[in-house]
Amino acid sequence: MIKNWIVKFAFFLHGSLYYKKIKETFYNFLQNSDYEYKKYFDVFMILLIVVSITILVYEVKNPVPLWLDNFDIYVVTFIFLVEYIARIWVYNNWHIQIVNAYEESKFLNNNFSLWEPTKEVLKGKIEYMLTPSAIIDLLAILPAYRPLRVLRIFVLFRVFKLLRYTKSIHQFLNVLATKKFELFTLLFLLIFIMVTAGIAIYVFEEKSNPNINSLVDALYWAMITISTVGYGDISPVTPEGRVLSMVIIIAGIAMISFVTSVIVSSFSEKLTELKENRLIEEMNKSKEFIIICGYGQMTRMFLSSYAKEYDNRYIVIEENKERVEMAVKEGYRAIHDDASRHDVIAKFNIDYAQITLLALTSSNISNVYITLNAKALSPKIKVISRATNERIAKKCRLAGADYVIMPNIIANRMLFTAITQPVMYRAFYAILTGQHLAHLDEIRIFHYQKLLNSKIEEIDFKDYKLLLIGIQAGINGEFIFNPPKTFVLQKEDVLLLMGRKVSIEHFKKVYEEVSYVT
Amino acid sequence: MSHRTAFMFGYGKSTYFVAQELFRESLHLSIIVNDEVAFEEAKNDGYVDVTLLDITDDTLLESLNVNEEDYLICVMKDNHLNVFLTLSLHNLFPNNMIVALSDSIHTTQKLKMAGANKIIDVYNVSANRVYNILHKPVTTQLIERLLSSDEMFSFKEMQIPKNSCLDGVMVDDFDFREHNIILVGMIDQRLSDQFLFITSGLEHRFDSGDTIVCIGYNDDLEKFEAYMKGVE
Repeated sequence: MIKNWIVKFAFFLHGSLYYKKIKETFYNFLQNSDYEYKKYFDVFMILLIVVSITILVYEVKNPVPLWLDNFDIYVVTFIFLVEYIARIWVYNNWHIQIVNAYEESKFLNNNFSLWEPTKEVLKGKIEYMLTPSAIIDLLAILPAYRPLRVLRIFVLFRVFKLLRYTKSIHQFLNVLATKKFELFTLLFLLIFIMVTAGIAIYVFEEKSNPNINSLVDALYWAMITISTVGYGDISPVTPEGRVLSMVIIIAGIAMISFVTSVIVSSFSEKLTELKENRLIEEMNKSKEFIIICGYGQMTRMFLSSYAKEYDNRYIVIEENKERVEMAVKEGYRAIHDDASRHDVIAKFNIDYAQITLLALTSSNISNVYITLNAKALSPKIKVISRATNERIAKKCRLAGADYVIMPNIIANRMLFTAITQPVMYRAFYAILTGQHLAHLDEIRIFHYQKLLNSKIEEIDFKDYKLLLIGIQAGINGEFIFNPPKTFVLQKEDVLLLMGRKVSIEHFKKVYEEVSYVT
Repeated sequence: MSHRTAFMFGYGKSTYFVAQELFRESLHLSIIVNDEVAFEEAKNDGYVDVTLLDITDDTLLESLNVNEEDYLICVMKDNHLNVFLTLSLHNLFPNNMIVALSDSIHTTQKLKMAGANKIIDVYNVSANRVYNILHKPVTTQLIERLLSSDEMFSFKEMQIPKNSCLDGVMVDDFDFREHNIILVGMIDQRLSDQFLFITSGLEHRFDSGDTIVCIGYNDDLEKFEAYMKGVE
């Protein structure tokens, strides 16, 4: 009976868009670093932590007003607790496991066991609760329990909690994690020298040095000396002890230099990667952006004309390191990676953003592969690929490219035109290169309501020094070249105009909708 | 049958199309290459007039028998060689039209300085096309139609003959749209040989000898040319 109710409830949650949306919102705020509003949540949490720590530290020597204490105990802790529970909640989906297991048992005509899916979900949640960040979250709630003063020490975990919300500290720890082996080796070496030196000084001076009364004193002295801190509360009194001091001071300096060099080298190795990851993160915050694969002449030409227009909404991925350096030097946003790799494109926000990928490398094989890779990841990604001839273009289309560009074919056609029809070539070239005199632009009637229901003859294009080439009638409708004068403009129509850029801008200004503030 | 010769310096897969088209246009095509691979390639593709010579040697270039009305096409794979060749040709044959292929802004500038009359930048057009695909779908459609040789829609340049219906008529007084074609621009022979776009607000009179460029369906363009010439 209860089992049935639970299954019904799981199905209800499974079908509820409202529940899905709430959970997704929580997930976005807590876990999704690509979510544009997450930063506000992070800043709020950082502020709470700072306030809480300030209260707890101030409270050590000064009386704190009751309302502030209550704020810390109830409000801050409550928010931390809610956050902790929410993180466990969004970690996995109990109802989906139940629904899947139930449907599987129905399909196989088996007895449905509620325990199996529940066990899986619990296992996942416990796994999460045992992660260092979840433990810190839990321990950060404890200082609120005032009767046990020892719990105050857990205020430190509120400081650690900052790690969750500050990317740079997180990145610092990640960089250190890459040198785990070297750092652990040095730590073991340090312990070894410290223990050896501690035992040696204990043997040499236990009887003659009044400050060394136990092995702990000896180890403490070794640690203070090896770290080159040297408080001076314990110092060797025998010649053997002094020689030992000299040896471990040299060992200490060597070790500090080692640790410094390991940290610095790991940072210099990771610096480019960190910068590139920042670029990707920035891109993922945009709702619409372009990924340009390959930094060759065509990309350079494209960016030299349009980089400003795209502002920060483009990124170049280039396999050749020298070319990446060249792109960065020329002021473009470029990263060093292989765009044909699945994980490289998967780093981008393919689910939420509208991505256009330009496969513009000089290699046909790479362009086909990049197209396939992008389309395999998400058919939503719009791909424009470059090809050298019609055969390759066909392959690009088969791979899923939405458009194929063949620079050589276009150039050859122009070359041919330049020879056979030199006058026409000038018009042709100006139009194809978008020169300011022969700028082609589109006017969507939807955005220019003043034009709605107007007849073509009622608009004096000549007066605006514009040439009406044609009209696309309706959404994806047919293109009407030289439309009749009696043609009436509808909402979905698009006018194709030619003229100077300024003329087109002027026309747009005259016909754009004016909104008055009342 | 044209008596003009097109001298094409350089041959490769990327220039195969233009060689074919020029050949089809009944121009005499003379291919000049400086390496044996390209020489064999052109021969294998069926071209008869293929010469292998050192294009850096001016005396050899001079011996090519180039007439003033011939076209010189520089499509060498090596940019440096292409600029050098353009400079040599401009020096030897200053009155001939030189058309050159370029693959960067810098090379385009150098070719212009070297004396090329028309420079086709392989990537300039394509970069603009990518932008159009992204933002102007209708423009993209139109350009695709203009670029496709199979389409029945194109540009056409026409010279106004003597006693034509256009002779002596002001630009504003003639309605091209009635013939289902659009006038894009013209060269007024009396003023200069500069191409004037209709969108620059020109108030000109058509005279015989002027060249007009129109856009439209091939049939309409042909019909209009015949009409202009008085051939019904």
